Amino acid sequence: MNNLKKAPPVLILEDVAVAYKIRGGEIEAVQNVSFEINRGETHGIVGESGCGKSTVAWAVLNFLGANGYVKRGSIKFQGQELVGVTGEELRRLRGDQIAMVYQDPMQALNPSMRLGDQMSEVLTVHRDMDKKEAEKRCIEMLERVYMPDAANVMNRYPHQISGGQQQRVVIATALLNNPALLIMDEPTTALDVTVEAVVLDLIADLRREFDTAIMYITHNLGVVARVSTRVGVMYAGEMVERGTVEDIYKDPQHPYTQGLMRCVPKLGADKASSILYPIRGRVPPPNNRPVGCVFSPRCDYVREICHNKRPELLEFSSGVSVRCHFAGEIEADKWSPSDDILPPEIITDTSPREPILKLDNLKKYYEVQGSSLKDILGLGEQRYVKAVENADFDLPRGTTLGVVGESGCGKSTLIKTIIGLEQTTEGHAEFMEIDITDEISTRGEDVIKELQMVFQNPDSTMNPSYTVGQQIGRPMKRFSTVPKDEIRGEVIKLLESMRLGENYYDRLPRQLSGGEKQRVGIARALASHPNLVLCDEPVSALDVSVQAALLNLLLELQQEYDTTMMFIAHDLSVVRFFSDQVAVMYLGQIMEIGPANAIYAPPYHPYSEALLSAVPIPDPSAEQKHIRLEGTVPSAINPPDGCRFHTRCPRRELLPDGGAICETEMPPWRETAEGHRIFCHIPLETLNTFDPVITQKPEGSNHVS
Amino acid sequence: MLVKDYMTRHPIMISPETDASEAQNIMTENNIRHLPVVGDGKRLLGLITREKLHVPPSDLGSLNVWEISRLLSDLKVKGMMVKGKDLITTEGDITIEDAAKIMLEEKIGCLPVLEDGVVGGIITDTDMLAHLAHLMGATVQGVRVTIRMPDKVGESAKVTDVIASHGWGIYGGGGHDAPKQPGYWDAVLKIQGGDKEEVVAALEQIEGQEIIDVR
Amino acid sequence: MKAKTKKKSRLQKFWDSVSLILASRVATVGSIMVLFWLVLAFISLFWTPYDYNASDFLQNLGPNPQNWLGTDHLGRDIFSRLMKGTQVVLLKTRLPGEGNIIIPGGVAIWGVIGSMALGVTMGLNAGYRGGWWDQVIMQILDALIAFPRIVLYLVVIAALGQGDLVVILAISITGAPGVARLARSLAMDIKTRDYIRAAETRGESVWYIMFKEILPNASGPLLVDGMLRVGYAIFAIGTLGFLGIGLPPPDPDWGNMVNEARRNIFSNQLAVIWPALAIATLVIGLNLFADGLREEMTRYQK
Repeated sequence: MNNLKKAPPVLILEDVAVAYKIRGGEIEAVQNVSFEINRGETHGIVGESGCGKSTVAWAVLNFLGANGYVKRGSIKFQGQELVGVTGEELRRLRGDQIAMVYQDPMQALNPSMRLGDQMSEVLTVHRDMDKKEAEKRCIEMLERVYMPDAANVMNRYPHQISGGQQQRVVIATALLNNPALLIMDEPTTALDVTVEAVVLDLIADLRREFDTAIMYITHNLGVVARVSTRVGVMYAGEMVERGTVEDIYKDPQHPYTQGLMRCVPKLGADKASSILYPIRGRVPPPNNRPVGCVFSPRCDYVREICHNKRPELLEFSSGVSVRCHFAGEIEADKWSPSDDILPPEIITDTSPREPILKLDNLKKYYEVQGSSLKDILGLGEQRYVKAVENADFDLPRGTTLGVVGESGCGKSTLIKTIIGLEQTTEGHAEFMEIDITDEISTRGEDVIKELQMVFQNPDSTMNPSYTVGQQIGRPMKRFSTVPKDEIRGEVIKLLESMRLGENYYDRLPRQLSGGEKQRVGIARALASHPNLVLCDEPVSALDVSVQAALLNLLLELQQEYDTTMMFIAHDLSVVRFFSDQVAVMYLGQIMEIGPANAIYAPPYHPYSEALLSAVPIPDPSAEQKHIRLEGTVPSAINPPDGCRFHTRCPRRELLPDGGAICETEMPPWRETAEGHRIFCHIPLETLNTFDPVITQKPEGSNHVS
Repeated sequence: MLVKDYMTRHPIMISPETDASEAQNIMTENNIRHLPVVGDGKRLLGLITREKLHVPPSDLGSLNVWEISRLLSDLKVKGMMVKGKDLITTEGDITIEDAAKIMLEEKIGCLPVLEDGVVGGIITDTDMLAHLAHLMGATVQGVRVTIRMPDKVGESAKVTDVIASHGWGIYGGGGHDAPKQPGYWDAVLKIQGGDKEEVVAALEQIEGQEIIDVR
Repeated sequence: MKAKTKKKSRLQKFWDSVSLILASRVATVGSIMVLFWLVLAFISLFWTPYDYNASDFLQNLGPNPQNWLGTDHLGRDIFSRLMKGTQVVLLKTRLPGEGNIIIPGGVAIWGVIGSMALGVTMGLNAGYRGGWWDQVIMQILDALIAFPRIVLYLVVIAALGQGDLVVILAISITGAPGVARLARSLAMDIKTRDYIRAAETRGESVWYIMFKEILPNASGPLLVDGMLRVGYAIFAIGTLGFLGIGLPPPDPDWGNMVNEARRNIFSNQLAVIWPALAIATLVIGLNLFADGLREEMTRYQK
């Protein structure tokens, strides 16, 4: 709506620089950041970790800690200068007009208070409202954030509701005071994709209803595209580009923004959109930023001037502003990847190969200890967490299987069971024709060394007490694959194939970045030349530009060593371009498994369809089906009978009686021609009629919401 | 068309301890004329307007330059704002015309809007004018016709029938009893779809009505 | 070239740890107090003002130019005895048997090493293996803690007789439960890390994982705890000495010095104060040092 009356922006940042005092000097964490946020607008701030996104938010709230301060510039909130404001005035502004939502809802909620009490406290303490009235308001607010059974939630403790619901409570609490500015710092990062999708919808609704200005901080380009109207891209403490979402995504001007767009999977219609081109190098630490343009060391278009002179902010007539000497001259279309970041070509070998891993109805149940007296005495009925149910597939040698599912779906348990960290409850597993049903201590060394694992968290994947060389050399020593005096040479060879030089040999883990640690983790897994490598979300904790490089590297190594791989991911976009097969899991059950291409096109399993439509796509021109799952994932202790997905399935009505059969009977495996299996009651003919989830908007329909 | 949909949400607010000069600055910089004065939890304590910030010259008459500047710098919003009985507020649930009536009756330019007892927004005469402009279709392209019709039931239906039959749309408008001509009604319509000549030609066909202005 | 860089880095490392200590005022004060006694102990190896066991002077003298701290009830120089007394605590342990075999490292030091070795082994087993191991080991340790310390000391000494080794054993046994608890909690934390998973998927033995993968990463807090324990051990030696069942003569024992001076407290009060002060300053010094170090170390972790 174009309004005749122009209201002043809620928040204006002008040339803000934030510095932290450290021993022997200070570090400018953020420099030259200017932007403004209007009422009713969501302004996204994206960037990789360590780029100063959160610091900007802290600066607005003056939460910079004892050693941080705003060094230059001004921050105006509602026309009032915030820099230098302290004490009572600041407290009043923060309490009444600015609210913040953090990444982890558990940090914002007091675990020992009922949710109702902590929510109504905002009203009773701040506004002297009486308790009854305050509680009524809270329930209304909870209903506004689509909390199911709001009145009941008021009486619960934070741990009794799910993560997505916790975040909704936090958002509702933030809105109770009707703030003029809402700062959200990665509010959905800790949530699963399907929950994230619901929360993002909610944020968009609330912005309209409350006319609140939202500052939305995230590293995820897809999320920004979905919620924001305008977006600022931050790199190494500077805002390098700013403009409307459409402009930034369709026609990025800054080389960094262009690079970012190329290294995130788009999940478009064809597989080519999933090929990733990393940005070489890494974000410079704040105390070691280049003199000239901060992006110059990683830029493909770098020239002499970039090294010496800081670029000014250039404004274009479209409203996009870019901090680059050559903004407007660089054409993203003409870019072609240089050799060192070119992804390896995917060799699709269609000749069938013998399976290296055979799972036969594998089950993993964990016993749970009840808390009643009966349970303690051992009289109660033994209950189980049914973590993996009937995993049944073959994995041909030299192929990659992507396993996708939300947290708690059993994907990690599945690979832990395969590798032997957990004892199988039932069923049978065979690896290279050797039985591996039992746990690792019963296995022979020849099996152990052929089965290795890459871990998720770069900070805990390496033992902080040993050097890189020692850690990669250990498997070689242990399995005696390499004679003792050749270990060093072999390790260095491996390091080089990880694109890490010999000088990494003597480094300690704390001297490495996240991406480098992950590379060492992969090198360690490959040191014994295993036949099967199990990867547990190896890239999900890394920044996007590093992620792409690592994925490409993994693929290359897999082809070089002819390794078989199982790769776990939590959303469907990452695994697409290098998986031969993809399996989708829900609540311990594999719901759909088949060749990668078949998973991303109809026929879909209803759950895969919902997952695909929830993934935030960094492309405003992509049209996504709007499917949102109701409720939460049921407990694995007591999973629903019949089809485990029936409680949330949006496609049940397609069956007679509204899917009565789903509640009682296990679905059959429906198999298509190319080995694509779907675990669903809905017949294939019906599944085939589903439209593709992601389509491209017709060109020209520039629809602004 | 209720006040809560058209008011300015999240107006700039100040605390009673703010200096008058600071309040003046905030108004000038943001180009606004009213500032709600709030306490903890956005509870409304008063309202400050540009006129209220003017110090009457009689207060300064007997003072020298130094005393004047000290007096001015010590002035707080607390002592100058509209408060108590004089402070007229409204709820978000009343119609825009009712709000306009209150403002006319009280001869004021701004109504703080309370929601749950705290400031939810303000509505000012500027908002009203913007609203009027919107109502009349000032923001859309089209033909603006003023038609004088007898003040009888069914007359405006004739007009809308004609417009509908041509597939045009009405994007704004209003009505008023015709000035100095009792028994007649002036209707203004913003019509989109046809050009000026077509619209005039079509509307002229209606019996008993007269187009008095087209632009 | 390579050797050179390594040497430099070692020097650098040493300087780093020194600056770490200096960064904390508490640790600096503590280390000065500890260093004072260490230096005295080293000097006493070669020189004391007078013979520490000879009754060369009048009895129960107050401080005077010859005997800086006065003399005791047998006319021995208190300062010389204090200096000499540092040795058994910090620098040497006398093994039983003929020929007066002496090994370096004081009774307090060996006692702590003993309790660390015992405690760490038990703690790592309990923490890493969990389940029954944890249950059984922790029950044993809880039972040990339930005994009053003094009773434990008395039991050990009554059973084995007096001697440096027996005191070391007593300190080891009483100190082990505390160390084990710390080691257990550290192991339980560290065992959740991915690099432990990696070691398990390599099929490493349990002992390798406990001592090669977990222990190096737990060493920081354990070291600080050990430092505190040296303080406790000195305290314990003092207590035993006071009860007359501590370190056997001929070397003077601070606790015993207090006990003997106590009998003459009305004629020479200061003779009680000096050894008591010696125990107190050394223990407080060690505590301050360990506390400051812990503070600085945790600060650097974040």
